[in-house]
Amino acid sequence: MRIILYIGRRLLFIVPQLLGIVLVSFLLVKSIPGDPAVLMLGPTATPDAIASLHRKLGLDHSLPVQFWIYLKNLAHGDLGTSWQTTRPVLEDLIQRFPATLELVSLGLLLAVLIGVPLGLASAFNERGWLAGIANFYGLGAGSLPDFWLALVLIFIFYTTLQWVPAPLGRIDLTIVPPPPVTGVLTVDALLAGDWQAFRSAAGHLVLPALTLGLINAGPILKMTQSSMEKMLQSDFSRYEVLCGMPRRLVVRHALRNALPSVVTIISVLYGFLIGGAVLVEIVFSWGGAGQYAVQGVLNSDFYPVLGFVLFSAIFSLFVYLVVDLIYFAIDPRISH
Amino acid sequence: MPAFAQSIGLPPQNSAAVALLVERLRVEFPVLRGKPKVAIRDLDISIRPGEILGLVGESGAGKTTLARAILNLPPAPGRITAGVVQFDGVDLLRLSEGELQRIRGRDISMVVPNPRGELNPLVPVGVQLASIAQVHLDKDRHSARAMALEMLQAVQIPDPERRMRAYPHELSGGMAQRVVIAIALMCSPRFIISDDATSGLDVTVQAQILELLRHLVRKQSSAMLFITRDIGITAHFCDRVAVIYRGEIMEIAPRESFFLAPRHPYTMLLLAAFLHNPQLRRAWTPPDASVRANVDTEIGCAYTDRCPRARKICQTTKPLLAERISGHFVRCHFPLERE
Repeated sequence: MRIILYIGRRLLFIVPQLLGIVLVSFLLVKSIPGDPAVLMLGPTATPDAIASLHRKLGLDHSLPVQFWIYLKNLAHGDLGTSWQTTRPVLEDLIQRFPATLELVSLGLLLAVLIGVPLGLASAFNERGWLAGIANFYGLGAGSLPDFWLALVLIFIFYTTLQWVPAPLGRIDLTIVPPPPVTGVLTVDALLAGDWQAFRSAAGHLVLPALTLGLINAGPILKMTQSSMEKMLQSDFSRYEVLCGMPRRLVVRHALRNALPSVVTIISVLYGFLIGGAVLVEIVFSWGGAGQYAVQGVLNSDFYPVLGFVLFSAIFSLFVYLVVDLIYFAIDPRISH
Repeated sequence: MPAFAQSIGLPPQNSAAVALLVERLRVEFPVLRGKPKVAIRDLDISIRPGEILGLVGESGAGKTTLARAILNLPPAPGRITAGVVQFDGVDLLRLSEGELQRIRGRDISMVVPNPRGELNPLVPVGVQLASIAQVHLDKDRHSARAMALEMLQAVQIPDPERRMRAYPHELSGGMAQRVVIAIALMCSPRFIISDDATSGLDVTVQAQILELLRHLVRKQSSAMLFITRDIGITAHFCDRVAVIYRGEIMEIAPRESFFLAPRHPYTMLLLAAFLHNPQLRRAWTPPDASVRANVDTEIGCAYTDRCPRARKICQTTKPLLAERISGHFVRCHFPLERE
């Protein structure tokens, strides 16, 4: 009951939070120099043509009025139109956001699977060889650029070994994509029972997800290692040893105390990667939301950028809500 | 121990008369590119069953290091480099980690200071208490819980049923101290180490906790090493009192003899400080303390540089812990003489 009240309150707060985010990003996007009308009409456009296009696009209004119009359209589910794709931003994002989400989620899952066990193992034995590997890995993963690692992986697994399909998009061009339900190709292929499509989509997913996983395992590993070490050396762990508690119990209790900081770093990475995976998206021609937003920024295409910010914000707020619920489960002090 | 005692012809009650025996214990802390710092230097103490031995000393004297070294858990990065800790016929310093686990918390337990930080913040108090009984006494969950509740009643926590479900941060300092005492007494240990257990508590609460601790120790006829910075407490709480300075016992005596006829200059200084008597304090502080050279404590008396009675021999020869009158030992070349 308490939890439901808490979630309700949090959801209520999401509305003003989103309004604030939209306002700030609107101002930021508008302050980027560049005139979409000039870009749309090309170098030979007459001033008259530009002025009339300004009127058509609503750019002749003052900034507050433009913001008000944007908000009004937003209330009707209209996120504007991208002049580059000439399609409604909402449609574009519904197509592209799941692509990014699929990539980032799988990449983060891999990062957790690599980082958490390695971090724990090195915390148990600070001077062991595994701790040495973990330290080296943490340093390496933090200093490698993700797009470079992506190119190396492509070279090894596509060019040389031919184990994976070409890094061009999310599915082979010759294969008919499954009918979109969730927008996540692997899931849609499974829903449609289309094994061929699933195999192709999964094959295309391997390398980009591996890239993100290998890079982002670094911070997760470091956080797991340091917080676990801290907990194992903490007063209460020492006291449990003094009380003759078996090692496995001491470790279990330390782990539970270390978990919140690991969950925090994972959630921060999740929110960050929605936009932060854009270089990997570009290398693999993924056609995700990050790529879409960057194109928008470069071409003064406001609405895709704003739409992307809005989508990411909603996603981040959702992730943080879930994380708070996880904290509830881990740390009884919060709800008690 | 009994078999060993018989083999050398000691009467059996003699071997039973020692609950814990520490011999030539040495704990060192490594120093980067240097000689290790000695925290406990060749220390001997023995404690009889049912006895409460008070251990007094200033911060950094080695009180906590000694307490934890007895459990073979010296504070990191300290190492036990020599000595014997004889308990129940075995040397604790030679046991494996698994064997030590069965002794810690069951046969020898420790009451720690600042207990709110020592309890697991995410586990209810009752569960932490019960897990001691589950681990050490092989109790099932249900009877372990019943025992935990019983212990909380024994340490006179108000509303014990509710406290069972409380988390450590919800307890007051006094209550947390009682919980830690309950944990320490759970398995009726034969030896209890109380490390500064009442510091940071209100004086009234302190008196209550001490009374409770003494009552429970007497009831279980356990022996106790009672470590404190407050020499006043030992006067009405301990059977014998020992003074530790820089990891060495300076004076150890039965309570009456200790307080009526203290013999070590350092003891005099501690008593002067406790009595808030500036005149006495000045009398036992050397006038030129700051200019004295640092004495090599390996060969000289550890207290030389602070001692108003120090002479040449104190810097070159370490005094032995010698028995002056029955049971009253002093480590000093020039102890106070009393008749």
